[in-house]
Amino acid sequence: MTRAESGGGMLVGFGNALSLAFSAIVRAKVRAVLTVLGILVGVAAVVIVTALGTGVQERITSQIKSLGSNMIWVFPQSNQSSGARGARGGGGRLTENDGKAILREATSVTAVVPYMQAQAQVVVADRNIATTVAGSTRAYFDVRGFTIATGANFTDTDERTKAKVCLLGQTAKENLFGNQDAVGQVIRIGRYPFRVVGVLAGKGQTPGGEDQDDRVVMPVGTFRARVSPTAPGRVHVLLVSASDARTVNRAIDQVDAILRQRHGIEPGKEPDFGIRSQAEFLKTQEEILGTLKALLIGIALVALGVGGIGVMNIMLVSVTERTREIGIRMAIGAREADVRFQFLVEAVMLCALGGVAGTAVGIGVIYAMARALGWSMLLPPAALVVALATSFGTGIFFGFWPARRASRLDPIEALRHE
Amino acid sequence: MEAPLIELDHVEKDYGTGSVVVRALIDVNLRVARGEFVAIVGTSGSGKSTMMNIIGCLDRPTRGRYRLGPVDVGGRSNDGRAIVRNRMLGFIFQGYNLLPRTTALENVELPLVYRGVKKRDRRRRAEQTLQEVGLESRMHHKPNQLSGGQQQRVAIARALVTEPPVLLADEPTGNLDTRTSYEVLALLQKLNQTSAITIVLVTHEADIAACASRIITMRDGRIRSDVGNAPSDAARLLRELGEPRSLPDSA
Repeated sequence: MTRAESGGGMLVGFGNALSLAFSAIVRAKVRAVLTVLGILVGVAAVVIVTALGTGVQERITSQIKSLGSNMIWVFPQSNQSSGARGARGGGGRLTENDGKAILREATSVTAVVPYMQAQAQVVVADRNIATTVAGSTRAYFDVRGFTIATGANFTDTDERTKAKVCLLGQTAKENLFGNQDAVGQVIRIGRYPFRVVGVLAGKGQTPGGEDQDDRVVMPVGTFRARVSPTAPGRVHVLLVSASDARTVNRAIDQVDAILRQRHGIEPGKEPDFGIRSQAEFLKTQEEILGTLKALLIGIALVALGVGGIGVMNIMLVSVTERTREIGIRMAIGAREADVRFQFLVEAVMLCALGGVAGTAVGIGVIYAMARALGWSMLLPPAALVVALATSFGTGIFFGFWPARRASRLDPIEALRHE
Repeated sequence: MEAPLIELDHVEKDYGTGSVVVRALIDVNLRVARGEFVAIVGTSGSGKSTMMNIIGCLDRPTRGRYRLGPVDVGGRSNDGRAIVRNRMLGFIFQGYNLLPRTTALENVELPLVYRGVKKRDRRRRAEQTLQEVGLESRMHHKPNQLSGGQQQRVAIARALVTEPPVLLADEPTGNLDTRTSYEVLALLQKLNQTSAITIVLVTHEADIAACASRIITMRDGRIRSDVGNAPSDAARLLRELGEPRSLPDSA
């Protein structure tokens, strides 16, 4: 007798179990389709949620990068009452000299630019748009990570003489000039004409949803003189650039110390300025996103679990219906493991069908959503593996009990079953 | 003298627990030698089916010892008994117990599947066995396309395909008419004589039991009589029935 015929220690061949499971599923097509549908929904949900989460995360990360790396915002802030803190720009004063002092004294800071902004109407011929008008220095574009697509930056002389020149963000340029070249053209803000010297390359939205390209930038002196009359030297924000990402916290400490000294605020007292960094922003965003992602994945898993219960239900029905068959198989020598294996393979096959179909549907939905919303949806290959593995796992988990029940049947009872 | 193939020693079987215990078998002692053709008869409730289940390793005795050839079966686990069933026993049932929606050939292959025989071997052996029972033209038919007699012959082929030393037949003719019953019996007698397979047959029909060489009568869970018998020849009985109204295999 060959080893293959020894009868012990060896499960019924896998191929055999597969074809058995397949024919059992084919025999009850409608039921199988409905069961598979449950798993399909669950797996599709997992795939979609994973892709959405990853896509949104990617998007936020790139947006935050687009704000300019190592950025620190310093802005005046009311310190009148500790209970209700005033809005940005209320109360405190922040000047270009503060910025110069920071650049001079803070060792971890490589650049400081003053920044002011206002909403204004900009007019070209018959077009009249509301946009953000900003005043800053030549260094602004570097610090914020803008590149100049056409034309040139304004010059030192422009800054000194408060020349009526400006650069347009991509959106502002399109709104005002469409596809035409804007460089050399003249726009009007309020009563004054401004010559467009350059157009910025597009940067997209901030994580907060603000279009960074919908803006007009001019020398800060010009801004104070022509757009929003302000005392010389006053700024809305100082944009501080730390030497690199790791020195951001040290730079913040240095800025804090320098400004406290200049503004005569004792340590421990509420300052008349506020400091915010990218890192904080990033952290908040990631926390929110993480919670949201966990919640969505939780819902997707619940859907998958419901699908799994459907599989278990159908497998129990199948075991009951085939009690006599199980009895026959046992009488002619099927061991418990053989019977268990047969039903487990069937459950896993149902789930795997759902897994494959669900993954396909998920990818389809992601593709459609990405196109419709213009979002980037990333589907990491790992997510596909996870989706399929999850469906297999669901099959094993929810198929185990019915399979065990089948294998524990008493052959005599099973043979008597009608 | 050669050791008996089937050996039951003071075998008892109780059903139920607590105050309501049904004693289905009481002190059963039985020895069956290789090559015997034994009929077990008795009314329903006499314990003959219980004894058959124990001999068939489908059930365990409550007390006593059961040896099948060299194997002490009584203490075996479920899987252990499954292996014994696969290796040493062939079953024929009253209701045929073929898998529905499965061809005759696949039904006959089934015991070999659980033995781990390779597909091609399995097919060859199943085809050969179906030929031996005269069903070579019906191999790819499903049970619902076969007559009762044909189904029972498929079941016999399934029981024989593993070449077991013992064939157990539980009311094999219960669902068949007289002619087909004699056909099946003639086949069993032929197998018993040509391949020396040991047959244990449970029946409540006297003319069927008369085809065996030994008749055991059960009543109230005990063996009441155990006598040798000059077997009637089923093939002759079949001839005496005369020409069939229609050919049984013409379906």
